[in-house]
Amino acid sequence: MVIFKAVSKHYNGHIAVKNLNLNVKEGEFVTLIGPSGCGKTTTLKMVNRLVEPTEGDILINGRNIRDTDPVALRRQIGYVIQQIGLFPHMTVEENITVVPTLLEWPATKRRARGHELLDMAGMDPVIYANRYPSELSGGQQQRIGVLRALAADPPLILMDEPFGALDPISREVLQDELKSLQKRLHKTIIFVTHDMDEALKLADRVVVMREGEVIQEATPEELLRKPADDFVASFVGKSRRNDSKLLIVEQVMQPNPVTVLPSVGLAQCLTLMKRKRVDTVLVVDEEGVLIGGVSIETLDREHQRAYRIGEIADHNLVTVLNSTPAKDAFDLMVGDQLKYLPVVDEHRHLRGLVTRTSMVNAMASVVWGDEND
Amino acid sequence: MKMISFSQFLFMNSTAIITATVQHLYLALGSELIGCLIAIPLGIWLTSRKKLADYFLAVTGTIQTIPSLALLGFVLPLFGIGPLPAMIVLVLYSLLPILRNTYTGITGVNPSYIEAGTGAGMNSRQLLWMVKLPLALPIIMAGIRISTVYLISWATLAAFIGAGGLGDLIITGIQTADANFIIAGTIPTAFLAIGAGWMLGKVEMVLTPREGLIVSDEGR
Repeated sequence: MVIFKAVSKHYNGHIAVKNLNLNVKEGEFVTLIGPSGCGKTTTLKMVNRLVEPTEGDILINGRNIRDTDPVALRRQIGYVIQQIGLFPHMTVEENITVVPTLLEWPATKRRARGHELLDMAGMDPVIYANRYPSELSGGQQQRIGVLRALAADPPLILMDEPFGALDPISREVLQDELKSLQKRLHKTIIFVTHDMDEALKLADRVVVMREGEVIQEATPEELLRKPADDFVASFVGKSRRNDSKLLIVEQVMQPNPVTVLPSVGLAQCLTLMKRKRVDTVLVVDEEGVLIGGVSIETLDREHQRAYRIGEIADHNLVTVLNSTPAKDAFDLMVGDQLKYLPVVDEHRHLRGLVTRTSMVNAMASVVWGDEND
Repeated sequence: MKMISFSQFLFMNSTAIITATVQHLYLALGSELIGCLIAIPLGIWLTSRKKLADYFLAVTGTIQTIPSLALLGFVLPLFGIGPLPAMIVLVLYSLLPILRNTYTGITGVNPSYIEAGTGAGMNSRQLLWMVKLPLALPIIMAGIRISTVYLISWATLAAFIGAGGLGDLIITGIQTADANFIIAGTIPTAFLAIGAGWMLGKVEMVLTPREGLIVSDEGR
């Protein structure tokens, strides 16, 4: 839909964008990301000719934008800017319908469109249509900023760090809304940001830029798995990369597994398992030393024959030391098809339990970043 | 001449005072209107010509420093006496505040609004009428208010070149050493100036858009 062909932009000697080639497909959500001054905003503004390229061509639907009148071009492209830019002297409805006004839609059609969009964003038109931007919260203002870009139903929308000024909670909410909106309305969106979390969350494709050049363009998944170089790797962030080698079992295990003493009766044990909703218990002595494990299957099979848990416990459990790298423990679980892996210290004292759930949690924190850091 | 009380004076000269007041308003507001018609378009035109703007602001600033009595003296040989030369002088004085406020008001519009307007597909004329002028209007109005208040008080000097107005009463009072005349000229002038300032101040407040602050979502 949008094709950049060897596009460069020079500002008296300074190169802002250097030989950029990019093909944005229809319905695609592309984020341009990079440190400030990397040329991402310049790239965006060349699409609606707020900035004219020094060299190269930009084609929209096969048509060179140099051949389109910039004013007419901009009315066909939605644009959301960094600082919101709602006009303070216009009401919410007037702000939303700026482009329809410029396109000289009849007043009734404009009004209907404004109300339709407000409804879509979950803002009651009766309450909000005649308010002024200053009477809205930051999140609501930027919602209106997005609605304004959608007003004339343009197939392509450009967004320049639209959520940068918002508090983290409103930002999350607006990101979610935008993503579902884009999927539902099948819009092509080019989105500039410097926030990697935002880029990864929203994008179908992330374009990483530095000093006017594209360093890598990839899906969020590819970017996380195979960063093109150290710059991208550091930009993607340590916490999101595959450094699970550094984690040890102690950090990923569940610290308080369900345990029983060997002297406990089978029926009592079953009651405990039912209450704690587990299918396996670990058997430990009074000192906390691991003796074995009992699964619900064993319990079911042996309940006629045995009376105490100690008699039926499996003494040949595979265990790991608490200082084992988490990755080795996971490999062991996957390789030996273990349901669980008790963690013990040098004296065989039980420290915790690694389950498949702890594995999933650990991997998720590797991929998405630890929520706690 | 025997002294009469001020109330008796008012009763005897009411027609003259009203005529002078109307004449005075006509002089001051007429000059202000002409000043606006010149300075506002000029100020808008200058916003895209920065070097020229500095020059124009310097010239109108210089006019402002010439003593009004002296300026009256300059126009006298060129345009003779009467309301016309007086209005020329008053128009010249009105230019600076209006021109400067129009220019700074428009150039001072937050660039993000200009970018939003341009990005939405406004041409330069639409950008001026839909964004720049409405946002600069409070500042332009402040310029109009200041110059109107000045012109109302300066218009008293027009009487020196036979243009009439409340200045006539003051000059008569000075020449005849009659305090009643001086007061009868001064008080309406002061009231007109204060009243005009107050009214235009109200207009200014109505026109000031509520600033587009980003407020926190907390508590909403």
